[in-house]
Amino acid sequence: MDRKATYKKYAQAIPGAYAIEKTDKAPCRLACPAGLNVQGYVQMVGEGKYKEALKIIMEDLPLPGVLGRICPHGCEDACRRCEVDDPVAIRNLKRLAADQCDPRSIKIDCLPPRDEKVAIIGSGPAGLSAAYHLARKGILSTIYEALPEPGGMLRVGIPDHRLPPGILDQEIELITNLGVELKTSTPLGPDLSVDDLFNEGYEAVYLALGSHKGIELGIPGEKSQGVRQGVDFLREVNLKGKAHVGKRLAIIGGGNVAIDVSRSAVRLGAEEVTILYRRTRAEMPAWEEEIQAAEAEGVKIVYLCAPQEALTEEGHIVGVRCIRMELGEPDSSGRRRPVPIPGSEFDMEIDQLIPAIGQRPDLSALDDIEGLDFTRWGTTEVDPVTYETGRKGLFAGGDLQTGPWVAIGAVAAGREAAESISRYLDGRDMAEGRTPIAADNPQYRPIPEDETPRARAKMPELSLKKRGRNFEEVELGYDTEEGGYEAGRCLNCGYCCECYQCVEACGADAVTLETHAQQSEKLELNVGSIILAPGFQPFDPSEFETYNYANHPSIITAMEFERILSASGPTTGHLIRMSDHKEPKKIAWLQCVGSRDINRCDHGYCSSACCMYAIKEAVIAKEHAGDDLDCAVFFMDIRTHGKDFERYYDDAREKHGIRFVRSRVHTIDPADEGEDVVIKYADEHGNFHEETFDLVVLSVGLETAPDVAALAREMDIELTEGEFCQTSSFQPAATSRKGVYVCGAFTGPKDIPQSVIEASSAATEAGGLLSAARGTLTRSREIPEERTIVGERPRIGVFVCQCGINIGGVVDVGSVRDYAASLPYVEYVADNLYSCSQDTQDAMTQVIKENNLNRIVVAACTPKTHEPLFQETLINAGLNKYLFEMTNIRNQDSWVHKDEPTMATDKAKDLVRMAVAKVALLEPLKEVEVDVDPKALVVGGGISGMVAARSLSAQGYDVCVVEKSDTLGGQALNLFKTWKDEDIQKNLQDLIRAVDADPRIDIRLSTELTKVDGFVGSFATTLRTGEKEDTFEHGVAVIAAGASEFKPDEYRYGEDPRVVTHQELDKRFMEDDPSLRDIKDAVFIQCVGSRDEERPYCSRVCCTHSMESALHLKEMNPDMNVSILYRDIRTYGEREYLYRRARAAGILFFRYSRDQKPQVRTTDHGLEIEIVDSILGRPLLIRADLLSLATAIVPYKDERLAQFFKIPMNADGFFVEAHAKLGPSEFATDGVFLCGMAHYPKPIDESVAQAQAAASRAVTLLARKHIQVSGTIAEVNPMLCSSCGVCVELCPYSAPSFIEEGHFSGKAEINSVLCKGCGLCVASCRSGALNLKGFGTDQIMAMINEI
Amino acid sequence: MSGREPKITTFLCNWCSYGAADLAGVSRFQYPPNFRIIRVPCSARVSPKFILSAFRHGSDGVWVSG
Repeated sequence: MDRKATYKKYAQAIPGAYAIEKTDKAPCRLACPAGLNVQGYVQMVGEGKYKEALKIIMEDLPLPGVLGRICPHGCEDACRRCEVDDPVAIRNLKRLAADQCDPRSIKIDCLPPRDEKVAIIGSGPAGLSAAYHLARKGILSTIYEALPEPGGMLRVGIPDHRLPPGILDQEIELITNLGVELKTSTPLGPDLSVDDLFNEGYEAVYLALGSHKGIELGIPGEKSQGVRQGVDFLREVNLKGKAHVGKRLAIIGGGNVAIDVSRSAVRLGAEEVTILYRRTRAEMPAWEEEIQAAEAEGVKIVYLCAPQEALTEEGHIVGVRCIRMELGEPDSSGRRRPVPIPGSEFDMEIDQLIPAIGQRPDLSALDDIEGLDFTRWGTTEVDPVTYETGRKGLFAGGDLQTGPWVAIGAVAAGREAAESISRYLDGRDMAEGRTPIAADNPQYRPIPEDETPRARAKMPELSLKKRGRNFEEVELGYDTEEGGYEAGRCLNCGYCCECYQCVEACGADAVTLETHAQQSEKLELNVGSIILAPGFQPFDPSEFETYNYANHPSIITAMEFERILSASGPTTGHLIRMSDHKEPKKIAWLQCVGSRDINRCDHGYCSSACCMYAIKEAVIAKEHAGDDLDCAVFFMDIRTHGKDFERYYDDAREKHGIRFVRSRVHTIDPADEGEDVVIKYADEHGNFHEETFDLVVLSVGLETAPDVAALAREMDIELTEGEFCQTSSFQPAATSRKGVYVCGAFTGPKDIPQSVIEASSAATEAGGLLSAARGTLTRSREIPEERTIVGERPRIGVFVCQCGINIGGVVDVGSVRDYAASLPYVEYVADNLYSCSQDTQDAMTQVIKENNLNRIVVAACTPKTHEPLFQETLINAGLNKYLFEMTNIRNQDSWVHKDEPTMATDKAKDLVRMAVAKVALLEPLKEVEVDVDPKALVVGGGISGMVAARSLSAQGYDVCVVEKSDTLGGQALNLFKTWKDEDIQKNLQDLIRAVDADPRIDIRLSTELTKVDGFVGSFATTLRTGEKEDTFEHGVAVIAAGASEFKPDEYRYGEDPRVVTHQELDKRFMEDDPSLRDIKDAVFIQCVGSRDEERPYCSRVCCTHSMESALHLKEMNPDMNVSILYRDIRTYGEREYLYRRARAAGILFFRYSRDQKPQVRTTDHGLEIEIVDSILGRPLLIRADLLSLATAIVPYKDERLAQFFKIPMNADGFFVEAHAKLGPSEFATDGVFLCGMAHYPKPIDESVAQAQAAASRAVTLLARKHIQVSGTIAEVNPMLCSSCGVCVELCPYSAPSFIEEGHFSGKAEINSVLCKGCGLCVASCRSGALNLKGFGTDQIMAMINEI
Repeated sequence: MSGREPKITTFLCNWCSYGAADLAGVSRFQYPPNFRIIRVPCSARVSPKFILSAFRHGSDGVWVSG
């Protein structure tokens, strides 16, 4: 979808971040000599905002109506619309703005007037522009004009039919309105010299005399009567309204002056007007539309013809002798040089001859000015940037300095001179920062492919009939409709047009001219470590014709479908087909688009996340659309190997009725009619099907973006075959370059939990490297002393927020504020435009202090995001932060009742009344501070436990590792190689040695936990080794209790020695058992004990393990027959390459279903395995002399451990993390962390990453030294407590307990550290002894009273 | 009840339902303005006394969500 230049960056984010998209400045703007913001004013005209358009134009140009008529519009030549059809009629749109809105009505901001005086010589475009821009800087100037009328060439060089004098008068008036003085008929000369001006006290003088002197032809007879310069002729016409034209008039030249003279002569009654031009029409510098107009009005043009002599009689011209020309070689201007054809002379009878071949400055008044030099072309010498002449304070510009050029160039020169003069008066450097910066290779908004050609709006003209002998304006200007159409043709090349309407609209001053001008900056940072988290990009299927994605609107990617499902998406979560807004009845998902495919897209890996997200999308789609929606997922293998994913898959299939079709779809075609799509596929039995769907979702894979791969190469970091970052299993966050760490999808395609784990893992690696520097770059805040309010009656301050128009646009904020003032104890009320802005916060701090307020209510947005901010304000004002109540009149009022302002206002008043009632009863609360014991307990001595211990030790903390067996190493002791072919035993021994040698790590083997006391920051755990018991005190605990291999009771395991588990086979590999080489037939059975009724989860590692083992067997004996019997192969990520290698090595794969498991029999010739092959649908018999079972991974289900640390366990016996996606390595119980297979089955690399993650999360606590506990916790009044014990029993956090000793022995008390402040005990207390601070019964009752 | 808008008092858990009510606002869902929301730290905080009190103070319905 096409979006505006301002847009919300992440639609789902709260609070939303907005951005403005800008590219290089539009080409029209760059082409304009004055750099006018063309795109800006064209857009404003398009929206009918003529005043705003003028404001943009008049930033640079004070003469919009004038230039809107006569500018030669170089911008239009640069317009990128030329690539589609014709350029946007920019000049005409500028004129429309000035036609629709009187430029004199635009308020022009000027700085306060200064005392210095500046003189400007000449009132042409350069002089007027200089005066205008000086006035805006507070510098008022006097303009001296030689002629009786101001305007320079604009006045005397352009006839009225092109520029009516009234328009020029208006725009000069807007300049004199600023305080500029204008003296006409005051030429520089004997009575007024530059020296005189300086002597009179002018501190700077700007020479802008223009180029008013016509260039002579240099032919005989030129001085005779009836010969006069074009510029002189036009001056006379413009000043007097008439001039002698005779009957037959010839004009020499091909520029606009020649045309202007010709059209004026026609109007003044000349019978025959002829233009003689020495080249052809193609070379003519006059504008094409002017030439056409002249011809239409009767002007004759003779091309390839030059005058040789003016024929005279009695001193008066009677004719001109001409010669024919032809075009020769190109000259320095690139145009072909005209060459006379000898003997082609001819005579023309005329009575007036007007040469119009060019002008130059008239320097007669500028002789003998000290410091003023001239070029050889008779123009003034100036500094090219500052326009200063050789004399201090004397500047020059416009046509006087450039020679004859366009008016807009003179306007630009005047503006630049004003800048120089202002700096000169201030004594500042005049040149600094003014060198123009040209964009190399500018980037623009691409021209939409479907941009249809639209003709340029035609300028309405006065009909030829009406022109006759008058000077009425010929071009009539667009009407608003034509203007809107024409502006709509603009392609918005620069995205943002810099109209700055957003700056005007933003009441919070978040968008300002400064923020608008922000540029990307290059920063150099000194860092000790780098973490790469560049993520992935979704695979783009548009280039692959098979998917038809680019051609059919009903084929979308999963990312696009996510947006359609999202409440903040384009359809606000309503499930429709975007192309025709039809609600789909049938949706298909196609898996492995851009994954597991080496033929089409070269991504041989599995993208890991797509199966799960497709199932999720299908389930949510059905939730949105109801049960009638038919969802079908076409897949090769379903890979739901994540925690609880298999259950989700089972539910999707069995409870939600989502169809799963095992097939690779080969063709997607549009249906014969409508927007539907036909999918052709073969089912497992080889039968072909055709099915029509309303929508097809492509489950696109994940890939590394090319710029990320380039960055990695630049940083000298090794990549894998799939262009992911190369890492090792034992250091999964380390890149090949020391000090550079990595996490997320850049190490391989993965889902959110694993990415979050890796993020913490990378942090712990970097943290270990930098631990010596901890706390060295921190700053601490000064907090004012807290005021005691004991004994004070409530003095409540109520602040009602408008939130710009978010609240103020619906709720009558003023009346809510006034209402609040009428409530009891309210001493102060105010409303703020944005209560959360820094200045309002500062003001609130002052108000609280000055008015001695002791309770604060803020009626604004949601406390969930803003309560901490306002509590900070209270702290800064010396108030306890709990003396605060926030009520939500935005998210829960103005936003949801936007059509009912009265009711919304009433609701806001009710909410404020309730909040005031509550706040009056609030008391200051204390936050308990707990010291953190800087030691950690790690439960489990496997790879996870050891890595966690090493990571904690590396960050400077003492660790005790408790292992129940008599050796370190855990399950890894039984494993042969990782999937990356690393030797596990070698790495494991290195790790054990490192842990052994680490002075910070205390290893307790054959040890069990018998008791855990305490809470976050100060645990005391009793450990028993043999008969000996002792207590270890620690601040945090890491649970790395692991899991073990399932021992099955099927497939003749334990009965036939040829049937082994993975670990048993690995053991034989490690021993290099020679008998393995003699095996002829080896078979693997997958999912033994996994994905069944008893264990409805996938054990994640077994498919990969079988690939490794099968390949190893094949390596040992290439002639061995190896078969793998599977349900779905789940070699996720780049493990998929192993599957590919296995197939290439000739390993056979047979799929079985859960209902028809393989049957194993022992015979005399070995094992016989019978399997019903799913493709053939027939039983197959496979002989084997080795059967390896891929058995499940089962947790220890250690209930005691769960109770010790109050950590939950799921039905399978795995521990339950704080948050499945965002908190995978910690528990909801503070201070307790989780890693390894106790969380879920996982391979070594993932265990190491999670162990590091758990350590990282633990360090965030340990590094704090103290922790503050919330003040909103339960408290017991022991006088009322009946010792019933309900609270003790109910509390999920074990916060209440019985007092053991003293006067109140047997009554309940609350451990303020353990209490989470939920209030369960309070609501359950039968004797009313319990109360929840901050949400007290009296406080909530007070709110209910005020409903 | 006809012709009269019912008044509903809601107790919303800070961590879920109150956040959901915020999200309803962010999504600009429109609903009738006769709810009065009381934020509680957890639906477990809602004592039966609160519900009775809400009815006593004229609520036509009480909604506890968490």
